[in-house]
Amino acid sequence: MNARTTYLPDRFHAAVERWRDTYLQDYDFLMDNWEKHFPHEPRFELCAFRELGMCTEIECGEFKGKPKYQRASEMHPEQAGHLLGAIKAQASTEFGSIQQHRLTLARAQEEEEQFWILRMMAEELRHGYQMLHLLAEDDWSSVSKDSGADMVEEILSMTTGSHLLGAFNIDFDSFVDNVVFCALIDRVGKYQLTLQRSSAYQPMAESMPKMLREEAFHLAAGVVPMRRWVQEAAKDEVYVTMDMLQRALNKWLPRGLEMFGDERGGGTNVRYGLKPMKNAEAQNLYYEEVGKVVRDLNLRYLRARLPNLGRDEAETLLDQVLADRETRQGIRCEDLLHMPHPEFFRRRGVPAFKRVGAAGETFTDFAEYRRHLAAHLPESYLASRDFKDYAEALGQVQRGEMDVAAATSRMPALRRVGGACSCSKAVRWVVDAPRGVVGAGAVEAPRVTAVQAH
Amino acid sequence: MPESEIASALRIRPVDELDIDAIVAIDEKIGGRYRPEVWERRIGYYLRRDPEASVVAENAGRVVGFMLGEVRSGEFGLEEPTGWIEVLGVDPDHRGQAIGRRMAEAMLEYFKGQGATSVRTLVDEGMGEIAGFFTSLGFAPSPLRPFARPL
Repeated sequence: MNARTTYLPDRFHAAVERWRDTYLQDYDFLMDNWEKHFPHEPRFELCAFRELGMCTEIECGEFKGKPKYQRASEMHPEQAGHLLGAIKAQASTEFGSIQQHRLTLARAQEEEEQFWILRMMAEELRHGYQMLHLLAEDDWSSVSKDSGADMVEEILSMTTGSHLLGAFNIDFDSFVDNVVFCALIDRVGKYQLTLQRSSAYQPMAESMPKMLREEAFHLAAGVVPMRRWVQEAAKDEVYVTMDMLQRALNKWLPRGLEMFGDERGGGTNVRYGLKPMKNAEAQNLYYEEVGKVVRDLNLRYLRARLPNLGRDEAETLLDQVLADRETRQGIRCEDLLHMPHPEFFRRRGVPAFKRVGAAGETFTDFAEYRRHLAAHLPESYLASRDFKDYAEALGQVQRGEMDVAAATSRMPALRRVGGACSCSKAVRWVVDAPRGVVGAGAVEAPRVTAVQAH
Repeated sequence: MPESEIASALRIRPVDELDIDAIVAIDEKIGGRYRPEVWERRIGYYLRRDPEASVVAENAGRVVGFMLGEVRSGEFGLEEPTGWIEVLGVDPDHRGQAIGRRMAEAMLEYFKGQGATSVRTLVDEGMGEIAGFFTSLGFAPSPLRPFARPL
């Protein structure tokens, strides 16, 4: 690989290792069993990689053709502000996903799949480290009063419930979530990394290639177990059914779509050369690609249910059943997986709180919509704080007690609640706790070595 | 369609997890066996190792060929980074369109970029067509001979 290996300064590196000790407690187990599951493969290392030989000219926007920026201080403050927000968001997702995966990792039924997820978690840690490296290495004083140490602390202090993007604020309920999350939410990551690969900020662009290579496996760590599950489901195994997978799709796809940002936005990033595509365009491509995943799983299911069926016959049968919803060769339409409508169960963006059903139908009655959601989402998720918050906000919107913008802002998001860190005097970012409820993760949030060292 | 037009419509890109079904289908067409489990594990392996090293050929959005391999070093006394082409398949309905050649060229270029100074593969003596394919790409028999015995 044509890349340069770099590391965070010792105190920040140590902070990440402490974070790892708290949230990735199976790390040593992974390393002890590395050779068993990944023989002859390079061992994981906590470091940052910078790809060499990448394009040095801005690739899109109004500064296209000019040299890429090496330092944030070379950028227009608003431009650097957007970039800083993107780096923090990316860092937040990387650490956030580990906090989610750890909850249900031990429930995997197959050791191989468990180790795939565990390796993926370690690589997400490295991705987070890579983003912290961008924060710590440059001087962001033109757009932020926070020092590098503050920003590292900010990221490492986040827990499920306080991350910047909704998908990372939802607890996992079973190993199905681990896997479907990889297939759907890591796929958004692939899009974001691909877009950021052409960032006008050279260190960001150079950070992406290695992350993208690792992300390719993360998607496989989702899709391959799902393929195996639908095959088992077709044979009437009861462990992971098609209905469970459908409900997991319904839970995660709306959050994945929202990770692209508001459908009307993204123009500023394009103009500033930070990403080559607006939000809606990338979101549409993503939705189409998830459609391919669903089709792939359905074909795998059909061929397992009807072993004598050839590939072309399976494609034809699938199209027929989906088109007329008639039962053919014993295959009912409801046996198959379906793409949730892009406006289903949305809380951000254009379709936020619109009460659109999984098949695109609209509901005028709040109670009826809530029953529809309950019938289409995982049972365990209905008991979560995240779902209750959504349902309550939806009710308030329906009754005219709150507008959509206010309801959207009430969904899990980072809030600066103040309070001074005793050692750094930085304003601390703490767990978002609407209505005074502190998430379980908050109790475990580590104090950050980097800041304690001040 | 003339070969030149096919060549221009052909897209060579890195393999991804959504290619598994198409690769299973090509394998099934060639060998007559439906083996999704084999390819799920195998593609998982290559995606883990280096997803950019293995490629598929796409024609009008449909995968019509695949070639899997990677750069390794330290094996069989070969200390220098060496590109390995390990598996390939072209949809029988799309043979004779230089698809294999295009995929090999893409892989060789990638291997070179990764510092490989040579590329190797193993071909069964009974597979004259495959041997001819590699010969046409400039491969020649190597003094490093495979040895095997049954267990």
